[in-house]
Amino acid sequence: MPEPTVAIEIDRLSKVYPGGNRALSDFSLAVDAGEIFGFLGPNGAGKTTTIKILLGFMPPTSGTVRVLGGDPRLPETRRRIGYLPEVANYYGYMTVDELLRYYGRLCGMSRDAIRKRTDELLELVGLADVRRRQLKHFSKGMLQRAGIAQALLHDPDLLILDEPMTGLDPPARLQMRDIILRQKQQGKTVFFSSHELSEAELICDRVGILKAGCTVWCGPTNEVTGDGAGNLERIFLNMIRQNESEQQK
Amino acid sequence: MRGPLRNIAAIASTAVLELYRRRDVYTAVVLAIVVTVPLASVNVFGVKGIVRYLREITLLLVWLFTLVIGLTTAARQIPRELENRTIYALLAKPLRRSEFILGKFAGAVAATGLAVLLFYLCYVVLDGLKEGVWYTPVLPQVVLLHLALVALMTALVIFGSTFLTPSANVTCSALIVAGMLLFGQKIPEAAARAVAPASWILWTAHAVLPHFEFFDLRLRLVHGWEPISPAVLLAVLGYCTLYTTALLGGAVAIFSRKRL
Repeated sequence: MPEPTVAIEIDRLSKVYPGGNRALSDFSLAVDAGEIFGFLGPNGAGKTTTIKILLGFMPPTSGTVRVLGGDPRLPETRRRIGYLPEVANYYGYMTVDELLRYYGRLCGMSRDAIRKRTDELLELVGLADVRRRQLKHFSKGMLQRAGIAQALLHDPDLLILDEPMTGLDPPARLQMRDIILRQKQQGKTVFFSSHELSEAELICDRVGILKAGCTVWCGPTNEVTGDGAGNLERIFLNMIRQNESEQQK
Repeated sequence: MRGPLRNIAAIASTAVLELYRRRDVYTAVVLAIVVTVPLASVNVFGVKGIVRYLREITLLLVWLFTLVIGLTTAARQIPRELENRTIYALLAKPLRRSEFILGKFAGAVAATGLAVLLFYLCYVVLDGLKEGVWYTPVLPQVVLLHLALVALMTALVIFGSTFLTPSANVTCSALIVAGMLLFGQKIPEAAARAVAPASWILWTAHAVLPHFEFFDLRLRLVHGWEPISPAVLLAVLGYCTLYTTALLGGAVAIFSRKRL
């Protein structure tokens, strides 16, 4: 079967929570395979809801979602997805080595493959020296790095990163940026939500701006940032305010 | 090992690792020592025939501690994943929700089962040292049915944790288990005497609630009675299997529809 050229297809997605809170309304989006897509929006815009639907954690009220050509509720589809949650909480009683072995087994990897990949990834994220330390003794930044290691463990075709820069110091941010760019070089797709607009500006091919469950802008990053006269942060705020004033009219 | 079984085993192994790493295992060891106290005091009383009473107290402690360890271990399996949000990274892996539930069940049964075996080991060693009785034919049945009870109780708690809060789950499960152990056999008698609607409620409880008292062979061990027939043993194990399957099926059905 040929590889899909679109990694994520969201078509007229709506989500209404019990109680009537509408998180997404008729939201559509397509993320091409091999691109880095920045998913931006203020708090409560519907970013986390979208990610939860993309991972099959909850069903949409209406609309369809295809991830790598498949239904994300199926384990076969999720086998090709790597996910870094917004809150990096893992099992405090495990070491990072044990955590990766645990997730590796769940991904169907062989013992040798897990060992080899664990060595590579712990070197990559800078946790090789503390691989036998329990996670409860890790700092927030170290947990975030353990999180990226578990997301990359099974060499996924699509990485979904929820606020990946949270809790990282400047060198770690640089390292995370390198990891994301390296994924793109390997032909992988990266979809990440962030409040860090400067990070999105630096590494994203395209960005989508979400407000109150609807897309207010979606396009190439260089198009939105233009000739450098306006940075993404300013444009983001303009878009959000413009959308608010249109809604008031 | 094939996919689903490997996933279930992987999840179950974390429950046992947690028991060891969180030092809960020390609690089980301390309780095991407490269990041996009544039998260790046989010579203190120096009364002939008192051994049976002390055995009964010892086994009562074994059952009581099993209920406490079993209920608390099973009750924290799913809520902790939700509270700590570790469930998101976990269910983003190619894992079915049914495998998650069965893994949690297997892990809690394994962790509690290890504690049960430790308690009986202490009982056997001390009874052997004090009374010179190292083996009674009913003992394997007592241990087997106790482990079956652990499985059924764990399934009940896992089922409850898919829709109840942790404290409500432990309370309801403890009431059901203790209530059925103490009064399960007396329900038909009470229902026959009662008038409607109390009689309907009692008959419904008798039909619906799991009969934990079926698994209690303590008296046979205390008095050195004969083992139960293989047919009865198989029937009780079959009852346990059916009930456990139904409860886990319900848990899977509810959890599969749960919005995370």
